[in-house]
Amino acid sequence: MSNFKILAAALPFAVMATGAMAADETIAVFTKNQTNPYFQTVRVGADAAAKSMGAKVVHYIPTKPDSIPEQLSQIEDVIVKKPSAIVFVPVDYKAMVPGVEQINDAKIPVVNVTDRSAGGKFLAFVGADDYSLGLETARYLLKEMGGKGNVVILEGVKGSLTNVDRVRGFNDALKEFKDVKLLASQPANYQRLQGLQVMENLMQSHPQIDGILAANDAMAVGAIEALDGANRKAKVVGINGTKEAVDAIKANKLLATGDYNGFLQGCIGTMAAIRALRNETIVTEVVLKPTVVNASNYQPYDRPLESRACPSWSEVEAISTKTN
Amino acid sequence: MTDHALSPSRPLRLPSVPGVAISLVGLVLLFAFSSPGFLSTGNLSNILVQSVILLLIALPMTLIIMTEGLDLSMGAVLTLASLVLALIIVSTQSLILGLLGALAVGLAFGFVNGSLVAVLGIPPFVATLGTLGAAQGLALIVSDGQSVVGIPRFVRQAYSGTVAGIPTPILIGIGFYALFHVLLYYTRFGTYIRALGGNRDALTLAGVRWRPILIAVYMLGGSMAGVAALLMTARMNAGHPTAAIGMEFDAIAAVALGGTSFEKGNGWIFGTLLGVLTVGVLRNGLNLMAIPSSVQVACIGALVIFALFIDGMRSHKS
Amino acid sequence: MSIASNASAGAPRIHLSQDMQQIIYRLLAAGLLCLALSLATDAFLTSNNILNVLRQASLLFFLASGLTLVILTGGLDLSVGANIGLSACLAATVIKATGSPILGTLTGLATGCVIGICNGLMVAKLRIPSFIATYGMLWVLHGITYYYMAGETIHGFPPGFRQIGSGHFLGIPIPVYLMVGFLVAGTVFAQRTVWGQQIYAIGANPVAARLTGIPIDRRLILVYAFSGAMAGVASIVFLARLNSAEGDIGEALTLPAIAAVLIGGASLFGGVGSVFGTFIGALILTLVLNGMNLLSVNANWQPLVTGVIVIFAVWLDMYGRRKA
Repeated sequence: MSNFKILAAALPFAVMATGAMAADETIAVFTKNQTNPYFQTVRVGADAAAKSMGAKVVHYIPTKPDSIPEQLSQIEDVIVKKPSAIVFVPVDYKAMVPGVEQINDAKIPVVNVTDRSAGGKFLAFVGADDYSLGLETARYLLKEMGGKGNVVILEGVKGSLTNVDRVRGFNDALKEFKDVKLLASQPANYQRLQGLQVMENLMQSHPQIDGILAANDAMAVGAIEALDGANRKAKVVGINGTKEAVDAIKANKLLATGDYNGFLQGCIGTMAAIRALRNETIVTEVVLKPTVVNASNYQPYDRPLESRACPSWSEVEAISTKTN
Repeated sequence: MTDHALSPSRPLRLPSVPGVAISLVGLVLLFAFSSPGFLSTGNLSNILVQSVILLLIALPMTLIIMTEGLDLSMGAVLTLASLVLALIIVSTQSLILGLLGALAVGLAFGFVNGSLVAVLGIPPFVATLGTLGAAQGLALIVSDGQSVVGIPRFVRQAYSGTVAGIPTPILIGIGFYALFHVLLYYTRFGTYIRALGGNRDALTLAGVRWRPILIAVYMLGGSMAGVAALLMTARMNAGHPTAAIGMEFDAIAAVALGGTSFEKGNGWIFGTLLGVLTVGVLRNGLNLMAIPSSVQVACIGALVIFALFIDGMRSHKS
Repeated sequence: MSIASNASAGAPRIHLSQDMQQIIYRLLAAGLLCLALSLATDAFLTSNNILNVLRQASLLFFLASGLTLVILTGGLDLSVGANIGLSACLAATVIKATGSPILGTLTGLATGCVIGICNGLMVAKLRIPSFIATYGMLWVLHGITYYYMAGETIHGFPPGFRQIGSGHFLGIPIPVYLMVGFLVAGTVFAQRTVWGQQIYAIGANPVAARLTGIPIDRRLILVYAFSGAMAGVASIVFLARLNSAEGDIGEALTLPAIAAVLIGGASLFGGVGSVFGTFIGALILTLVLNGMNLLSVNANWQPLVTGVIVIFAVWLDMYGRRKA
């Protein structure tokens, strides 16, 4: 009954816009894992877009985080079901290309979100790049440090694309600041506990650490706990713009977190897929600018995801980088 | 692991309608009724093709477990072999050289595992946990943490090609299943493997040098990881440094689901096949029904417990 | 694994001198590691770093000490890591909802304990092999936790509660006191009580144990409950240290915990091992990580180095045992 009400509420808009059978549109949304808060924001964005446009979303998430074989199997299974369209975050941008080609062969329209696939045909790409995110976030920290001092890097999971690009961004930013010394670059595998323990260990061998570049927020927050425990101070930045990081910024513990807005990516990707199904114009590429969230601009991030709203399509067109 | 010994009257596991068969038939019926498209030829071939890579490492895992051993390094060795295969193919364009490289990696790790267990007497769990780290580390080192791409198209055929209308992976799976079946039940090597688990002392008394045999079992496991690496690489058309991490636990679960016990050489290779298929059917069916991922995770756990529970009931009654 | 069969049934006392020798060899392995590290870097042999290593080892030890008893009976508990995840998330929810750290702590301990009892019932009453019962439980717990948390985190706990994880008393971290407490209690329980001796007997020779009238089922349920409760303890210390709960916090701890028990000289066939050995095992694993961070070992090499050292430590132990 409640479903019917939502449909009934959404239907007039859909009908006004297209006259299509809104209830039959099923969008399969693929994300990398169910543990990283970032992908939760993508999913909530996709849900919000679909709800406002009167379509249905089904989520496919590997039961093992970031599992390539499992996402490939899920694609093969989903093709049997023939959803109207797919919104696709590849767990690996190179290894998932055969999966994308299978989707193409099955003639299911697909929008690429977050990580740009190395191959296959897509209606559109909506994402950001981890490299510039790492670069901008690191630049912000290094400027705040006055361009001098000692820093350490906490790396994510070795071999994951996000980590490779973020750490490359960190290192390129470091090259711009000659007076900043990189003391160590150690893996903490995107894990909070490892972030804490690796930081505790690094503090033993380095008496003076002024800045910490963490490749995600969980490690950054872990590192802050390590600093607190040792009564030491350093400026810390993380990446992902999670609620927890925003709270830490408010509490003046975290300097900043780089964000590329998973919510918006989920919204725009899903909107593009649905609009394409209804033969409406879409944009073919939206690359969101990285935002460095800090004490002066955290307010928009400081509210529950579910209460955020997707942008209107004209706003999307305004920030798009390519249109057809 | 002596859980079984707690009930001294526990009989040898008989291959008559065990828990895994009940689970498999039950799941197939459930999905056939609840999910249109499940029984289509396309989807059934889907399930079989998806199951082959797991089968290829679950088969030797069955033998290893029958020797009261375990190989936790298999997923990592598969990953490393897949990277080596990809790197060689990219630089030489030769599938044969690549496959030889992958097999060499598998055999080398199998040899190290087998030697640690058979010669140095290190418990298999720890020995292979150590080589897991080593293989994973080498995978990161040879790939520098990046995917290896640029593999020529023809390699894809190993996974996506067909012979007489049947997908190649299914044929490879059937071939290797037959091979292992014959190996275990119709050769002296198979007899030794079964004796290694339950009756090692008897082997010694009979003058059989069991250490080389045990090493050979682990090397067989390594070489199968090499074969699986070919299919894995062909499937992704790339080598990836984390691709098969953790797959050893899926394989161990499939073997246990199939009724092979962790002691006394009490194994059933057909059960492993059923175990692999059950996991494949479950995952496919849950995806078709669009069950949320978190619930899928719980379902897999419940199924594993259920199948073994049925087995426990059966042996308890008899 | 044939070594286990040498351990004669139900009479570990006879091996006391052998046990001593094994413990000496194990201490030797840890000592060699310490020596190598103190030669390699000045930062290692400082009181700060030693307390740091002990505090880091404590979390692993809590988990591994409960697991030791399970392994002594010839079983295995693969669900401990997933157990931490769910226990921590429920405890965090209760602390947030009621503001009472005591209720939260009780929730965490109770959750861990109940999960342990379920494992025990499956193994003792349903006769499911422990490897499979707890592996199934691992998936079930992950499923529940992921569903419950939906990719979010719970963070920010009262300062008083946080003392459990990050506080000090007389300059020594609280978790280190807890570790010593559990080490003494565990050792006394296993070596000096009837129940403890019965647990050794069950692992060494279950048939003989049954014939001598040991209530095997009840003892088995006890050890799994204990293992679960220790996971509950670890989850509380975890929360107090990291100030945050998320679904996958324990995932990376299961294999290291099992490795710690086995490096500590326990056999998966039961009847052999000790809580003190496990303590050394946890210490060795923590030292390896600490050393690699202090020396800034390249991230790509770290799994390889860990793997080789694990094998070497166990081999040294085996060598010592064979000479004894």
